[in-house]
Amino acid sequence: MSPVALITGTRKGIGRALAEHLLAQGWQVAGCSRRAADIESENYRHFTLDISDETAVIQMVRQIKRELGPVYALVNNAGTAAMNHLLSTPVETCRSIFETNLTGSFLCLRECAKQMSRQKKGRIINLSSVASPLNLEGEAIYAASKAAIESLTRTAAKELGPHGITVNAIGPTPVDTDLIRTVPKEAITALIERQAIQRLGTTADIINCVDFFLREESSFISGQTLYLGGIA
Amino acid sequence: MQPDRNAIATIVLNTLHEMGEDLDRPELASADESTRLFGARSPLDSMNLVNFIADVEERLSDDFRIDITLANQSAMSRTHSPFRRASSCIDYIMECITEHKT
Repeated sequence: MSPVALITGTRKGIGRALAEHLLAQGWQVAGCSRRAADIESENYRHFTLDISDETAVIQMVRQIKRELGPVYALVNNAGTAAMNHLLSTPVETCRSIFETNLTGSFLCLRECAKQMSRQKKGRIINLSSVASPLNLEGEAIYAASKAAIESLTRTAAKELGPHGITVNAIGPTPVDTDLIRTVPKEAITALIERQAIQRLGTTADIINCVDFFLREESSFISGQTLYLGGIA
Repeated sequence: MQPDRNAIATIVLNTLHEMGEDLDRPELASADESTRLFGARSPLDSMNLVNFIADVEERLSDDFRIDITLANQSAMSRTHSPFRRASSCIDYIMECITEHKT
């Protein structure tokens, strides 16, 4: 039986590329987003929902088990960002970013970990960002939400380690996706200049890290955040 | 089909019995409705209780397609925890199912 992965935010960008990659590797993949996706594979199942909706997440994760089997790998990829100076950031923006980036990741982690715990094995990978260690100006709330994700990753690694579950995070540099489309070009250039390896990231860079954390041989690696581009 | 109290009691007690066998604890393997689920006189430690709740949630989903979370705000804010004994846990699950249906 092929292993089952749940990837959030698969309608486009990194999530979609990752879903297509794992499908090509023979995985069964469940994905979700707020709107319908058009990934075509008999091994792909899409759910349309808001990941900060507790009831919807519970129903999705249990439906995946009924249809495909228990989730072995979770990739918390779905995220939202907003570029704004702190002094002009509406509170609604703050709440919305934390609801999707933190609450949504937490709910998926909690529900998937229940299934993984019964199987005594599992892999959870959270998407963070270099915005957190670089304390990027103009992205205070987004960076704070990713710092929270990194903290959640470390604590979850401790709580879930005894159950055979590893929890790690990936901190990508800017990748050419919709998420950075509204960020001024000068800001992206300035950010890249702070990297040891000065270029935009690619989805392949992130897929490589996901593959690494999913490997059987990575069972002793947990609670880590792997930054790309030479950011430390 | 909505499960009755007997069906829920079977799920709760079977989960405890299987945990008792896995953990090699005879007092859990022979648990009944009076068995304490937490506290100094419970055969479960805090981690066992977390696993027990997750197991029961999964069985409710697998057997009856009832997708609820038992460790919710309502459970945590009560003066008397619904998880103090197997019997109170069964009664609490029945409450949750009724609320879930309405």
